[in-house]
Amino acid sequence: MANLREREDHRELNIGIGGDLNIDNLADDKSKLNFDTGKDRGSTVLGKEEQLRDKDMGPKAGSSIHRSLSRPQLDLSGAAIQGNFEEKDPAILLPNQSDDISHLALDIGGSLIKLVYFSRHENQPVNDRRRKIIKARLGITNFNRRSFPILGGRLHFVKFETAKINECLDFIYSKQLHRGGMDSRSWQTEGPNTESTVIKATGGGAYKFADLFKDKLGISIEKEDEMNCLVSGANYLLKAIRHEAFTHMEGRKEFVQLDSNDLYPYLLVNIGSGVSIIKVDGEGVFERVSGTNVGGGTYWGLGKLLTKCKSFDELLELSQRGDNRTIDMLVGDIYGGMDYSKIGLSASTIASSFGKAISENKEIDDYRPEDISLSLLRMISYNIGQASVVAKLIDIVISYLNALRFGLKRIFFGGFFIRGHAYTMDTISFAVHFWSKGQAQAMFLRHEGFLGALGAFLSYEKHGLDDLLVHQFVERFPMGAPYIGGNVHGPPLGDLNEKISWMEKFVLKGTEITAPVPMLSPGTTGLGGFEVPSSRGDSLRPDASKLNVGVLHLIPSLEVFPLLADPKTYEPNTIDLSDHGELEYWFKVLSEHMPDLVDKAVASEGGTDDAKRRGDAFARAFSAHLARLMEEPSAYGKLGLAHLLELREECLREFHFHDAYRSIKQRENEASLAVLQDLLMELDSMDEESRLLTLIEGVLAANIFDWGSRACVDLYHKGTIIEIYRMSRDKMQRPWRVDDFDIFKERMFGSAEKKPHKYKRALLFVDNSGADIVLGMLPLARELLRRGTEVVLVGNSLPALNDVTAMELPEIVAEAAKHCDILRAAAEAGGLLVDAMINVQDSPRESSLSVPLMVVENGCGSPCIDLRQVSSELAAAAKDADLIVLEGMGRALHTNYNATFKCDALKVAMVKNQRLAAKLINGNIYDSVCRFEAATSPSPSLSFS
Amino acid sequence: MESVGTEAANMGEREFKSCDRDDVSHLSLDIGGSLIKMVYFSSGSSSPSDDQKDSYLNDGTNTSIGTSNYNGLREKLHFLKFETSKIDECIKFISSKHLRYYGGQDNKNLASEDNIIKATGGGAFKFADLFKEKLGIVLDKVDEMSCLVAGANFLLKAVNHEAFTYMDGRKDYVQINHKDLYPYLLVNVGSGVSMIKVDGDNEFERVSGTSVGGGTFWGLGRLLTKCQSFDELLELSRQGNNRVIDMLVGDIYGGTDYSKIGLTSTTIASSFGRAISANKELDDYRPEDVARSLLRMISNNIGQIAYLNALRFGLKRIIFGGFFIRGHAYTMDTISVAVDFWSKGEAKALFLRHEGFLGALGAFMNYEKNGFTDITHQFMEQSCEIAQDLVCKDEDL
Repeated sequence: MANLREREDHRELNIGIGGDLNIDNLADDKSKLNFDTGKDRGSTVLGKEEQLRDKDMGPKAGSSIHRSLSRPQLDLSGAAIQGNFEEKDPAILLPNQSDDISHLALDIGGSLIKLVYFSRHENQPVNDRRRKIIKARLGITNFNRRSFPILGGRLHFVKFETAKINECLDFIYSKQLHRGGMDSRSWQTEGPNTESTVIKATGGGAYKFADLFKDKLGISIEKEDEMNCLVSGANYLLKAIRHEAFTHMEGRKEFVQLDSNDLYPYLLVNIGSGVSIIKVDGEGVFERVSGTNVGGGTYWGLGKLLTKCKSFDELLELSQRGDNRTIDMLVGDIYGGMDYSKIGLSASTIASSFGKAISENKEIDDYRPEDISLSLLRMISYNIGQASVVAKLIDIVISYLNALRFGLKRIFFGGFFIRGHAYTMDTISFAVHFWSKGQAQAMFLRHEGFLGALGAFLSYEKHGLDDLLVHQFVERFPMGAPYIGGNVHGPPLGDLNEKISWMEKFVLKGTEITAPVPMLSPGTTGLGGFEVPSSRGDSLRPDASKLNVGVLHLIPSLEVFPLLADPKTYEPNTIDLSDHGELEYWFKVLSEHMPDLVDKAVASEGGTDDAKRRGDAFARAFSAHLARLMEEPSAYGKLGLAHLLELREECLREFHFHDAYRSIKQRENEASLAVLQDLLMELDSMDEESRLLTLIEGVLAANIFDWGSRACVDLYHKGTIIEIYRMSRDKMQRPWRVDDFDIFKERMFGSAEKKPHKYKRALLFVDNSGADIVLGMLPLARELLRRGTEVVLVGNSLPALNDVTAMELPEIVAEAAKHCDILRAAAEAGGLLVDAMINVQDSPRESSLSVPLMVVENGCGSPCIDLRQVSSELAAAAKDADLIVLEGMGRALHTNYNATFKCDALKVAMVKNQRLAAKLINGNIYDSVCRFEAATSPSPSLSFS
Repeated sequence: MESVGTEAANMGEREFKSCDRDDVSHLSLDIGGSLIKMVYFSSGSSSPSDDQKDSYLNDGTNTSIGTSNYNGLREKLHFLKFETSKIDECIKFISSKHLRYYGGQDNKNLASEDNIIKATGGGAFKFADLFKEKLGIVLDKVDEMSCLVAGANFLLKAVNHEAFTYMDGRKDYVQINHKDLYPYLLVNVGSGVSMIKVDGDNEFERVSGTSVGGGTFWGLGRLLTKCQSFDELLELSRQGNNRVIDMLVGDIYGGTDYSKIGLTSTTIASSFGRAISANKELDDYRPEDVARSLLRMISNNIGQIAYLNALRFGLKRIIFGGFFIRGHAYTMDTISVAVDFWSKGEAKALFLRHEGFLGALGAFMNYEKNGFTDITHQFMEQSCEIAQDLVCKDEDL
């Protein structure tokens, strides 16, 4: 059950991945191993590799191989195992589980069981020739994924009620998590494993339920110290997850950017049944400095007695409609409505929790349960906030006494009591603010409930996560992944079929329901995921703050783009989506674009009934995401436009639409290539300076071909590619709205005072297929090559809209090279021609005199690019680069418009969106941007010039 | 004289004995959220009584009077409390007295102004109009914190055996050197809790507080047990067992300690935490057990926050006052244990015999302009004898 889903997921990011070999060969692990060794042996199996690559990496332009050939097999296998979880029978095992789940860890608390497990990406053979060549070319010696401590994978977060521990056991069994313990190889042999697996667990239940786990699953529980786990879990999250911590004041959530070098010491307040206050000084260095027995258990326990609520969540829910003034004695009650301002108490400050229940002749039934719940919540939250602040203040004193310069920097709150509940967080924040007189701020964690479980996970000796850094994590939010939410979460869906059926049962009712109401798997509860719609209503405050916890993808090959001037302050998104108007606008854009996208996606898969089903499922899923984000923009972490656009692409991939624009891209590439020769001749007839201008005009003109832009889609129906291109180029009247062309020109050609500058290597971040790449960027690349600059075309790793991918580029270049000697020589020098055209030699010809033209993938599958997470080959290519050209709205405007680099940067784009034009450049739709910025710090290649 | 709490608890249907003939002066009030505390001074015409203790019952409520007097002066300091919700009784009581008001001894300050009495607490604001209307009395509002501090300082200085520790049912009076009194942390547990750092006679700062106080105990307790009075609730808690409802460390760890962080299996991990898992309703629990858990939760919390604040300011003494404590053994025990636990035995909780009257006494001290300081000095000089006397009477606590 698990492996199918995992496989399907892992198509999401094919960086350094040889593809989904096993999708075509489900039950045969051995064949995979053969391919591995085949690859290692080198060129002998090249033909086969090529063939496989075509199949797995998606067809190149012109390829006739249809990726979805693998689909029927997927479904078949899915059918074999589907439905087991719902029937609550132990699932049928796949005899050969190719997904290598290596670790599972548990945190068994008094009320909830938290489970963290890791699923590995398959052992990916690096069988892509382009990659091998670029590796050799860029001198990446250690690119083999095996050199990483882990091969990459996913970290899943799941939660169950302790009272329903059997569901947890079923889940573990169905996913075969219990067989993948410390030695993942040991269980791959068929047949029951007689050896007992050791699973790390923490929390009191690790003691209490040890026997149960032994009996039912044959698991030996190895108990890990609770505090240890909490701390290591928190440390890890704070370092590894970019937007893990946030503040929550008066209903406003703000993510906090933490510098992992400036994290310690901090105070960790874990609110479980009771409260532990822990001072954390470093990895494994901590002390439980305080705590209180008035915690989540008190809230629930007392609340249950007072209100007869059946669950914690129900009690919390009640509190949102409560008015604590009916029960609490306020300062104003004592002072006749006046403040006691002398000591800083306002009239609305609670003087005595439940103090009003004294004086009135009322019984318990005379009070509204809502009010009781709220009074209780405030009492306990304030108390915890206070205890935390006092602990912090004491630390300040002690630090002072010990002449320590630094006291506690921050107070983080975690634990099941909080569970993303907006009012609880507000109350704690208020208390911290109040008691610290504004000197301290409460911070919360998105994975608050999973600190202990993650810590237990990290206690495995070889969990392999140690060396991973923030930029190597990508969090994704697939539909129905078992990361649960609120009271209801999606069932652990085994395969695409299940997922689609699940989505089909999900009906959107206006904006009211924001989440799938699945055939719910009873008993699992907690934060994240999708909420039951009924949890809203006449709330005092919107209960929208429950957090989603996605699946963490660990991609060790991702790196921070080395040319960023200041990676710490770098923010990819130009547009701030926390502006609600902006958010609404983009949601509208995306929603309107959806039918067209679905049509194209379905068509790209042959328009079959299956494709239509998947298309519908995608539409529902993405609408649900949008509605959820509309309601709670930070539900998935800090939301930027780049994330939003990527979410759409991920969602498409989730429903196996791997390249919705494939045929369109292909058609446009062909059409553009057909007119390339004419264009090149025209360019060659010009003198250098006017040629450069024409080239930049050309890039701008060609950038109009963009299926991501509604305005441009309309244009398409009015003319052929070359007509539109020529027409737009002619209209490129300078000065452009942002026009640094003269500076760029001077940099290229020099002036009276300055010598011309020859760039050593230029990175060209390309945008769309068709005219954009062929008539816009390739001619520019050619000009740079002609001037002796190495050119690296940077394409997407995965398709996004009609953006050209790194996989498609070699073929395009090869076609273009047929018309141009410069391109041919450079492509040969860069090894591209060998790969794409003639299957001659394994290594590029070093004898070539031309500077090379190379292609690298950027590591993402989005129309935008977050330069904090790029592929290692791009990072390697960037080492010698002294010019970056960012082209197109997604990469140069929506993201990175304000980014600064260590080398010269040219940002070229046509603004195909009126709102963005108005906002960003105070201009109009179809305005042009040509922004040149010289290196902000000495360029690595200055000596070269 | 017994401490107030015990006295209240023991008080039967005693007859209300008027002290009409007393020459009552310097009456002061502390009108809190739940209780009105009154201190007044009587002298002269009352018939000398050998009985050091007079108790009065007012309309069947537990209003009580404690007196401290020094026979040689034939003057008495009376301590009374009323429920704030029954403020009319308080007003009735005052009007029954022939009160010589502030400045009454020499009328030069009085002029034709209304009569004035010193009052503190939130009610001094809230009920000012009521007093004016019913008694023609102007409440001269004195800051609550100043009063608490002045009252505590006075008691700690004037009465030698005012402060005591209470551990495991054992009460030990503490002799505090006047010169070594400051700084200390004064924790006044009324409806809510104020924590005041006291640095000198009139030097102090409210450094903390909590809304989880006596009002919470009583309020929540009433809801949970249907008790009719605070004292009844306290009484119930004496017979309860908190283990029924509280989640102990042992409950989580299968009976074992979590010794690594110094938690024994009987440490309360989560107050009322057991009410979660058990399939029980409120009525399935004994009110005694509920009261006990509640008392421990609140006392423990107060003790902890108090200790932490003392630690924060490097204060060596933590003195607990306020009506929540009312001499209740288990309350004091719990607070003491909390302080002991959190301070790892370094700090001790101190309690005051006149715990409930700090504010009222402080307001009373505010009359000092009028020569009352002399009286306090005399009190201080003579108090040793009284204190000795008191110790004997406290044995039964």
